[in-house]
Amino acid sequence: MTSAVLIETGALEPGAPAIPDRLDRATVARRAREVRLRELVDQYVDFVARVLRNSGTPESEIDDEVQRTFIVAARRLDDIRPGAEKSFLFRVAFNQAAHARRTAARRREVAADQAPEQVEHLATPEALTDQKRMRELLDRILDDMDETLRAVFVLHEFEEMTAAEIADVVGIPRGTVASRLRRARSEFRARVAALGSGETER
Amino acid sequence: MKEPMRLRDEGATALERALLDAGSAYRGSPSARAKTLGTLGLAGSAGLFAAATARAPLASAGKLSLGKLSLTKFLAGAAICGAVAAVPGYRAWNAHHGSGYAGRAVTSPIPVPPRTEPIVTQLGTGTAVAEAPAPSVAAPAVAAPLPGPVAHRRAAGDATVPLSRELASIDAARTALARGDAAGAIARLNRYARAYPRGRLDMEAEVLRIDALVESGRTDQARARAREFLRRHPNSVLGAHVRTRLGD
Repeated sequence: MTSAVLIETGALEPGAPAIPDRLDRATVARRAREVRLRELVDQYVDFVARVLRNSGTPESEIDDEVQRTFIVAARRLDDIRPGAEKSFLFRVAFNQAAHARRTAARRREVAADQAPEQVEHLATPEALTDQKRMRELLDRILDDMDETLRAVFVLHEFEEMTAAEIADVVGIPRGTVASRLRRARSEFRARVAALGSGETER
Repeated sequence: MKEPMRLRDEGATALERALLDAGSAYRGSPSARAKTLGTLGLAGSAGLFAAATARAPLASAGKLSLGKLSLTKFLAGAAICGAVAAVPGYRAWNAHHGSGYAGRAVTSPIPVPPRTEPIVTQLGTGTAVAEAPAPSVAAPAVAAPLPGPVAHRRAAGDATVPLSRELASIDAARTALARGDAAGAIARLNRYARAYPRGRLDMEAEVLRIDALVESGRTDQARARAREFLRRHPNSVLGAHVRTRLGD
């Protein structure tokens, strides 16, 4: 049955491209890409969301930014080496988040006349189990961190990657990962100590 | 080189641990995955959605101010074609078939902010699972997603098997069929089914099998399988192909 017959019978609209007579290689290859893209989403959607959030994207924008990240992946699917998917997605997500951070920073400058929130009694069981509050404090600490330090800190402390994996994902030597990590942790501890001064119970 | 310890494993304070836990425990919204698949045109029901979108030129969406739409809604409405159309094989095909409704639909720009572009400049340039051939043969009108049942089953497939290996098996069967060796094609498809019981290209394998059965004169079997395929996957883009075999 030809396309013309299908059009006559109403199965196809006029102007629709011809139906291939055989399942051709282009169709199979395209389907394979769809499968790969779906697998990327299934495997990494939580990773991408977490990287976005821990890299500075506001909660309200996470869903949109997750979609943006995977749209970039769809557009560049053939540029993503098999095995380098996580690295690719991290870089896209981290960059998206950096943009969101800069936008948020500009908003904060506008609202700079507002008094900063007072942080008190942080070591109480109630405060420590208040996820929302801990999240806000974490955001504040991470937002003050240099972006290069933040990247290795997020991957090591939250994604639990090894130094070698981080070196691969970020594209820096392993020695640089170790030194950035030391600095990032030092900064983190100093800022936490400053937040909850005197509350250093183990 | 010694592996650095994680902060929570080397004497973090209670406050530090609580803060680190807040970072590790973060989960995106339950709908993030579904929204993303929908945006990419890969959701279970998106076959119909994609077709409908393709028939409605994006000019109407273009008249709307992006500021008046949430990004999610805009992407769902507009990028569904663009994102999938970005797959190079489809893009090449589209260039080849510049007219027709699908061609019009994908000429609108993809609404992705340009700031995302520089990120990927340093990434590897390895090829994906398959090389797109020259667009000498028409592909179906819409880069349609997988329909529901198979899509779910595939999601549970063995992702550790390189897709390229599955694709090579399918290609071998297709090549055999192209040179008129229907029996050889069926033998290869049997091997594919044994090697990949949860194969991610099982729909393609089934369509090839229907082709091979037709070529070898086993039309009754071909028709039975074609009807079963259409019953299971009524919205599949491959369905059009199967219907042509039924109509032969």
